[in-house]
Amino acid sequence: MENGFIQTDDLKKYYRMNTVGVKALDGITIDIPRGAFAVIMGPSGSGKSTLLNLIGGLDWPTSGSIFVDGEEIEALDETELAAYRRNKVGFVFQSFNLISSMSAEENVGFPLRFAGVQAAQRKQRAREKLEEVGLADRMTHKPTELSGGEQQRVAIARALINNPVLILADEPTGNLDTTSGLSVMHTLADLQKSGKTIVVATHDPRMLSFATQTIYLLDGKQVSEETYHQTIEQLSWEGTN
Amino acid sequence: MRFSDLISLIVANLSRRKGRVLLTAIGVMIGTAAVVTLVSLGAGLQKAATESLWGISDLSSIMVYPTYGGEMGGMVMIGGSQQEQQDAVLLTPSKISEIEALPGVERVIIQDYLSVGTEIKLDKLSSWGNIQGVSVSDLKEMNLAASQGTTELGMGKIIVGAYVNRNFYDPNQRYDEGPIDPPDLMGKILNVTLIKWNEEGGETRRTYRMEVAGVLQETRGEADYSMYMTLDEITRWNEWGRGQRINREKEGYNQVIVKAESPQIVLDVADQITGLGLQAYTPQSMVQGINSFFTTMQVIFGGIGAISLLVAAIGIANTMTMSILERTREIGIMKAIGATNNNILAIFLGEASGIGFVGGVGGSILGWGASKLINIFSASYLASQASAQGYMGNTMLATVTPFWLPIFAIVFATIVGLISGLYPSLNAATLVPVSALKYE
Ligand SMILES: Nc1ncnc2c1ncn2[C@@H]1O[C@H](COP(=O)(O)OP(=O)(O)OP(=O)(O)O)[C@@H](O)[C@H]1O
Ligand SMILES: [Mg+2]
Repeated sequence: MENGFIQTDDLKKYYRMNTVGVKALDGITIDIPRGAFAVIMGPSGSGKSTLLNLIGGLDWPTSGSIFVDGEEIEALDETELAAYRRNKVGFVFQSFNLISSMSAEENVGFPLRFAGVQAAQRKQRAREKLEEVGLADRMTHKPTELSGGEQQRVAIARALINNPVLILADEPTGNLDTTSGLSVMHTLADLQKSGKTIVVATHDPRMLSFATQTIYLLDGKQVSEETYHQTIEQLSWEGTN
Repeated sequence: MRFSDLISLIVANLSRRKGRVLLTAIGVMIGTAAVVTLVSLGAGLQKAATESLWGISDLSSIMVYPTYGGEMGGMVMIGGSQQEQQDAVLLTPSKISEIEALPGVERVIIQDYLSVGTEIKLDKLSSWGNIQGVSVSDLKEMNLAASQGTTELGMGKIIVGAYVNRNFYDPNQRYDEGPIDPPDLMGKILNVTLIKWNEEGGETRRTYRMEVAGVLQETRGEADYSMYMTLDEITRWNEWGRGQRINREKEGYNQVIVKAESPQIVLDVADQITGLGLQAYTPQSMVQGINSFFTTMQVIFGGIGAISLLVAAIGIANTMTMSILERTREIGIMKAIGATNNNILAIFLGEASGIGFVGGVGGSILGWGASKLINIFSASYLASQASAQGYMGNTMLATVTPFWLPIFAIVFATIVGLISGLYPSLNAATLVPVSALKYE
């Protein structure tokens, strides 16, 4: 595995809430190689989503730099960033984020509209992707007519439609039952095997069994596995008292 | 993003919210309908007014009269007429050549009236009349046309206006017999008797037999009650009446008609003639006055409609703001899957314009229908008036919808939509993707 596919350097994201500053990310320096299955672990509020959003170009850091596949993300302008998201990144969200008025097929093909692909081809490619995620018989279903697990697989198909090099998944199993969650994890693992780089933010420990690399976050800071577990144990011990 | 995809997406998004889109579009529809109807009404009124000026529809001619110093100017004369005599500018042949030399003047037609006492007879019927001598051989040159016979003038020939026959009466008729039917004058011989008196009160008469060579078409102007002869013959009659030759260099002519090369330059030419010290009247200046009045009226009418469109515009802005608020998450999704700010802007501007367009189309149809309805009502009203009063009015109030008006209204409504959507759409386009995605 080649190093430096995703590299951040002293990445910071601060929010100012009235007088109080929130350090959502406080100096994160990571390196994820191409083809990795990276898992970002951390309790709620530790900055997992923030980190993922910065890598995906959905938000701007307060300071620091992000390189993905040789591109300096935080230096791109809005249009370049849109092209980056369109061509290189596929997003999978906890709440699926499908468009409720569109069928599965239309949802999956939607990114292709912005890529200038014509309707007939959009339909064909969307069908192929839906078949890949095992939803061949759900093409014309609206999101409300699908189970959570099915919706998430539609979302994964959509993330794959532009053939991105990078899949960013923010708690993809968070809204799913154990079985569907596991099936989504397997789908992501298969994608990694096919050569894509996967970054997943989660607090689901089962995800660790697929990981090639784990990043532990506490209060916006990266910590070692030992520190992480000690702190978590301490927190839960304090919590039960 | 392909243009056809953009359009299909906009149509899909609008039809997702049919009810709201239609309700918003109704506002635009009413505004557009108001604009179309009121402007049509204004245009109709203008047409009716200009048509009543039909008689002076010859827009390239200018009536020129001499300036008789204080007399015509209505000035108060102080210390005799010395001053005024100097101010007088007469239509002498040399002055006429000056007019002819002006740029834009096509020709000058001299018109002189018979200034001798006259009696006109057709068999037992008598008449009076306004007999004009003109310096053209064919009245066509004065834009007059014949309904019977010819417009060509010649010695011993007279051409009469459309209503000249209405002036004939039977001098022996009793009062209770009612008016006679106007005689058909075409081809008849009119006995025109000139009468002059000497100092002692002695009367001399001279009768000419004039053949009616043509009857003119109705002009609804002065020509309808005029009779035309050659200028030479009228001059000879006038000289007989006076008993001496007329020196035109000293007296000038009563009136000349100046033809401009085109209606566009008439006002210009008239100004130049006024500059020579003469009086110039153009039918155009009158038409222009009427036109500017009605243009003002149409602008006011259009303005009233535009106010309702403004209200509609606020409606669109409101709907778009609401819809964008509801779809914040969708905007975030679109951005996450690679939509540019311009894509988002185009989608929402397109939706806003689409509402305007739908309203514009509906409003144009509605306004056009309303205009037609006004026409039907005004026609039946006028018909009932006409049958009640026993005549048919010749001006009729009708709306006129120029073909460009609905097109303009649709384009305008679409632009109103576009502008109303500008602010909300810009807001939508510049949302930070991550905050849009978090929006509940
Ligand atoms: N828009 C914002 N304004 C202010 N503070 C924010 C904003 N977004 C996130 N934060 C703060 O930044 C911190 C990190 O948030 P983040 O969403 O990255 O956590 P997370 O690890 O994804 O948590 P979870 O597991 O609950 O999703 C939190 O303390 C949060 O309150
Ligand atoms: Mg999160």
